[in-house]
Amino acid sequence: MSLGVQLESAERSDVELLHAVARGDEAALARLYDAYRVILFGLLVRILNSREEAEDILQDVFIQVWRRAKDFDEKRGRPFTWLVTLARSRAIDRLRQLGARQRLATGAAQEHTEMVSDALSDTIRVAQRETVQQALAELPEEQRNTLVLAYFDGLTQSEIAAKLNAPLGTIKTRMRSGMIKLRALFGKQLENFG
Amino acid sequence: MTHEDYKELLAAKALTALDAADARALTTHLEGCADCQSEMVELSEAAALLAYQAEPLEPSTKVREQILASVRAEVQTASRSDRVSPGVSQRDRNVLSFERPARNIWSSLGSFGALAATLAFVALIIGLAVLWQKNRTMQSELARLKAEMKQTQTQRDRERAMGELLTSPDGHMAKLAGTNVAPGAQAMLAYDKSGHAMLMAKGLPSAPEGMAYQLWYIKDNKKMPGKVFTPDAAGNGMLEDQIPAVARDAAVFAITLEPKSGVQVPTGSIYLLSSS
Repeated sequence: MSLGVQLESAERSDVELLHAVARGDEAALARLYDAYRVILFGLLVRILNSREEAEDILQDVFIQVWRRAKDFDEKRGRPFTWLVTLARSRAIDRLRQLGARQRLATGAAQEHTEMVSDALSDTIRVAQRETVQQALAELPEEQRNTLVLAYFDGLTQSEIAAKLNAPLGTIKTRMRSGMIKLRALFGKQLENFG
Repeated sequence: MTHEDYKELLAAKALTALDAADARALTTHLEGCADCQSEMVELSEAAALLAYQAEPLEPSTKVREQILASVRAEVQTASRSDRVSPGVSQRDRNVLSFERPARNIWSSLGSFGALAATLAFVALIIGLAVLWQKNRTMQSELARLKAEMKQTQTQRDRERAMGELLTSPDGHMAKLAGTNVAPGAQAMLAYDKSGHAMLMAKGLPSAPEGMAYQLWYIKDNKKMPGKVFTPDAAGNGMLEDQIPAVARDAAVFAITLEPKSGVQVPTGSIYLLSSS
């Protein structure tokens, strides 16, 4: 079975799991958690720089998944996108509350890193990560920096402009150009997975 | 703004990087523009994949346990609430059935002599009195259960509404921490771009007679009054309010103890406060 087929199969399965969660199936929620806890927790720690805050948000995210699974519409995006959007939105809200205080606490979050042992999940994750890193590497540095500051540091366009001492219009252009290029690169490389 | 101007904003929205004014304008446009909605989905899919750039990390096992425990607690609460209905129906039926023995006693009255009739009449009166008392007790119990159900339903409706606020694309959340006068208290305020806000608080001390807690919106040192609420015996309180337009961005939220009718300028101690 190719990796592309595995990914497609996993996504179908995730849609079914979300439908089961919407019907009140606790085991389906546990399976979704097991499937996505590592990638979502990694994302949350990267944004919040705190394992404690990240675990708090991770818990909140999956309780929201339990309550809101019936609102998931597969026509409007993949389960993965829905989960990441929910997690990131919560994390950035928390980050903006915490302000600069949290952003200074770098490094501490990485102390207790434990990698997962599921071989298939690892394979898919490593392949996805390589795809994303390759795509980002193809962007001009200033576009890549703008996306990273927005995505992981939760900065708005105005905040990025101030931080980089660049005109707001320039930041807007870099961000849009970078995202459009990324969208094209992700599409092309994900097709190659098959 | 033209359609093309809005399209320029989509990438930043996918990254949650729009400034507040642009975000508000785009949200309104997106509601009626299928072209932008379609591009928004594609850009959001691309943005989500950036999560793989973060190093995968394993959360502690307690997170999974806590999530499942919370979910089970919600299920149990829901099923307890569902079980109330059949019980109430049974009580309803019981209340309505008490007339039958009365009819039986009246119908047998003619078969006995005057003494028997008198005894039967006395027994009937006693029976009716007992049934009347029982009926009153049941009516009272029924009213209590109905009130409890209504309260549970209201609580669930509010929690659902809060969940919807939190998961809406333009939803925001602020946490309020207890101050030194209420160190065990905490609250969460969720609101959307329209200013529709819901507050859930817990751990608040009981409000003295004639007093209640009042929500405040603070922006640039200006304190704008919100609604008042009284927590229940367990210290839990909920409130639905409308945040003034000027206070929606970067405001500080506070809760003070004030006269029950509410005040225009805070006079009491601050019990809960958000970070700035």
